[in-house]
Amino acid sequence: MKSMTANDRIVRTMCDLCHCECGVLVHVQDGKVIKIEGDPNCPINEGHLCPKGLAAIQLLYHPDRIRYPLKRKGERGEGKWQRISWDEALDTVVIKFREVIEKYGPESVTYSWGDAAYRNSRFTKDALLFTLNAPTHLHSDAHYCFHPVLIANRLTFGHLLTSEGSPDYRNSKCIMLWGGNPVMTHPTQGRDIILGKTNGAKLVVIDPRFTEIASKADIFLQVRPGTDDALALGMLNVIINEGLYDKEFVEKWCIGFDQLKERVQAYPPQWVSKITWLAEEEIIRTARLFATSKPAATHTRMGVCMSTNTIQTVRAISILAAICGNLDIKGGNLIPNRPAGFKTRAEIVWKELTLPPELENKKVGAHEFPLLCSSESLGGNFCHPPSVIHAMMTGKPYPIKALWVLNDLLVCLEGAKETKEALGNVDFIAGSDFFMTSTMELCDIILPPCTYLEREEVVDSICTNNVIGARQKVIQPLDETRDEKEIDLEIVRRMGLKLPPHWQTLKDFNEYRVKGMGITFEDLKEKGYIGGPVSYKKYEGTGFPTPSGKVELYSSILEKYGYDPLPYYQENPETPVSTPKLAKEYPLILITGGRHVVYYHSLGRQIPWLREIMPDPNLEIHPETAERLGIKNGDWVWIEAPRGRGRIKMRAELTESVHPEVVHAPSHWWFPEVKESHHGAWESNINAIMSNDPPYDPICGATPLRGNLCRVYKADER
Amino acid sequence: MRDKNIKKSLLLNIDLCVGCFACEVACKQEHNLPVGIRWIKVVKVGPKKVSGKLFMHFVPVHCRHCGKPPCLGVCPVGAISKRSDGVVLFNEELCIGCKMCMEACPFGALQYNPEKEVAEACNLCVGRVDKGLEPICVQNCPTGALRFGDTTDYVLQKQKRGVKNFIEHDEFIKEKEV
Repeated sequence: MKSMTANDRIVRTMCDLCHCECGVLVHVQDGKVIKIEGDPNCPINEGHLCPKGLAAIQLLYHPDRIRYPLKRKGERGEGKWQRISWDEALDTVVIKFREVIEKYGPESVTYSWGDAAYRNSRFTKDALLFTLNAPTHLHSDAHYCFHPVLIANRLTFGHLLTSEGSPDYRNSKCIMLWGGNPVMTHPTQGRDIILGKTNGAKLVVIDPRFTEIASKADIFLQVRPGTDDALALGMLNVIINEGLYDKEFVEKWCIGFDQLKERVQAYPPQWVSKITWLAEEEIIRTARLFATSKPAATHTRMGVCMSTNTIQTVRAISILAAICGNLDIKGGNLIPNRPAGFKTRAEIVWKELTLPPELENKKVGAHEFPLLCSSESLGGNFCHPPSVIHAMMTGKPYPIKALWVLNDLLVCLEGAKETKEALGNVDFIAGSDFFMTSTMELCDIILPPCTYLEREEVVDSICTNNVIGARQKVIQPLDETRDEKEIDLEIVRRMGLKLPPHWQTLKDFNEYRVKGMGITFEDLKEKGYIGGPVSYKKYEGTGFPTPSGKVELYSSILEKYGYDPLPYYQENPETPVSTPKLAKEYPLILITGGRHVVYYHSLGRQIPWLREIMPDPNLEIHPETAERLGIKNGDWVWIEAPRGRGRIKMRAELTESVHPEVVHAPSHWWFPEVKESHHGAWESNINAIMSNDPPYDPICGATPLRGNLCRVYKADER
Repeated sequence: MRDKNIKKSLLLNIDLCVGCFACEVACKQEHNLPVGIRWIKVVKVGPKKVSGKLFMHFVPVHCRHCGKPPCLGVCPVGAISKRSDGVVLFNEELCIGCKMCMEACPFGALQYNPEKEVAEACNLCVGRVDKGLEPICVQNCPTGALRFGDTTDYVLQKQKRGVKNFIEHDEFIKEKEV
């Protein structure tokens, strides 16, 4: 590294390569980024960075990055492109959107919201749909991932409390982590769990996989995939029948305890033990530990969000946190507390960019999943993603003919083959991504976005529930890449539509978010980070934002919509228990989607420093099972799904991390080095053999991706 | 300038290492290392079931800057040296790429750079350390599993911790008996 000169500078900004949005110090020399390190003054990461953040230079300057607007020359997927001007690109989008709107109506225009580079363009993309009067927002993971937790939490307490940012790990006596591995998914949360444990907390990890964080657990419960609902109900049974719950809190702040008490009688630990593969005494021991350790912090992750009983599962776990008296106390689950006057993401999207009810209720899925999609949604302004794909295929309930896609839908959404067919029915597809992915190859126009190092915005990371910060532009966008938000607003302008009056430009928007705090965006940049005050038991003044103002163990909203107001156990649709005949031919339980820290969804497989650490898609398989199947460590194997869903190849990793009857396949695999237009999206992409057909979770429409059947056998080399 | 008589090294608290790979990529960026060269590499041990309980550990493997470095002893051209503060350094100008040192290293910590045709290893971030900073892997370790310090002090701390655990355990047994 050269020594510092007058042209060198260090810029403080915030990484956006995962949900943590850590503070970083970026070293710039002669206009080029030469080093990125964690900012020790950032309360989110305290100076640390994960591999993704540390390798961001290789993303910024990657030779394969798309740097100019492109127009497709040959057939879709032929891989022939022509460089065009921004004017031509934007005008084409405007003309095509108009054509589709005239022919089919505004609801036929949609965008597929991705992540990473695009999280902060949520507002401007929503503003575009809002100005178009288009309710069709395809957020490809709206029906699982974070939103089921949001819905289940809001049904129960009105607040989002069991997701990232809320559990107060560092001050906790007992941390219960359910279906997640933050070391790999949210590194700052992984760190806080370890620090909590160092401070004396007991760590309970519930997961079918023995993960990195599970290796640090005091109690690890290797639950049978998809039976978390039974386990949570069994624990409630123990805690209620032994009188270990917080009687004062339940008396004062909960409704429906008697009904809950009656319900959990159906789930004695002895019965739960048979369902979950866990020893009865382990269930009892864990329930007692959790109930008698105060404060205890509860965290639910995606492992419990991809079943046909997702909402009731997360509800049962949320109720555990509530009746043991852990809500909004130090070391428990804290109610969000951003700085007073700050406009949060939810506030803007829900209050300002929500269409009138008659339009909101036109969302695809609004009728089937009103709590996910309708004007009364508890989860956001999204459609039901599998239903959108089906609408593209069938034209029902209405045709969807223009799409702006910001993620690799073929790799990121279950039912990849149907997604490809669906995209074939869309008249016009605009795409934005850093790299030429299998989905970008199907676009008509590509609008190249810039990375976080090339743009500025206000940041409210979901991994902290009280800190906000400023993302600063470190360098000018490379070549002709543009800030995604700027592209959105430009399209709105060119379509002759009207933006909300108080934010006509991005600058206005940044100011608008912080204005209520009595500061300017420049002030925020100057300060770097601002935190809300730490306070506890905020509900004592305000009550809980539920219909009753209390924690609803018995949910009045679920009752109103005709769902079961109390949590229950339900077996997933394709398991050795529910489909024993099928299980004879497909004897292994397939769980999918465990993450690796070097990748963020489909991003990162072209980054040399990251790919080196995890070069192949590894199928975790127990050594005994592998031996029986004649599979050795490192062999390429086929994973075949039943019912004609097909097969893909992965590399066997023999490991005792999974039960002998369970295999685990990572998600989002593609091979950027494969130059054909599919870029390997059909080789090892687990979503190619997952179904997006019903049955779904009745409330949020989740598909069961963690606990289907499969068989595994040896393949030739990749 | 740090006192070169204090022999500081990388210390690992294995209970805190979660296998997050931050040290690896931090090292890559700091020293601009190509793919294939890992001065620090996180090795997963397990998972393995022992007496019905699963165990898994992560061990970052790197040059230990040995007191009597076996690599130094076998280098035929004197390309390996040891500073007074204990840091073992590789001189790429002198190295002939014979790989003798790699074979001699009991930890498998030394790396061969095929582009430069030389052997390389962790230099304990001497450039940073001489400015009073910690090695970059230590700065980026989120849990404090990797630390930079005096091994003797660390061992003393461990002794105290071990004794404390022993006593607590003993009391636990007594309590159970009652």
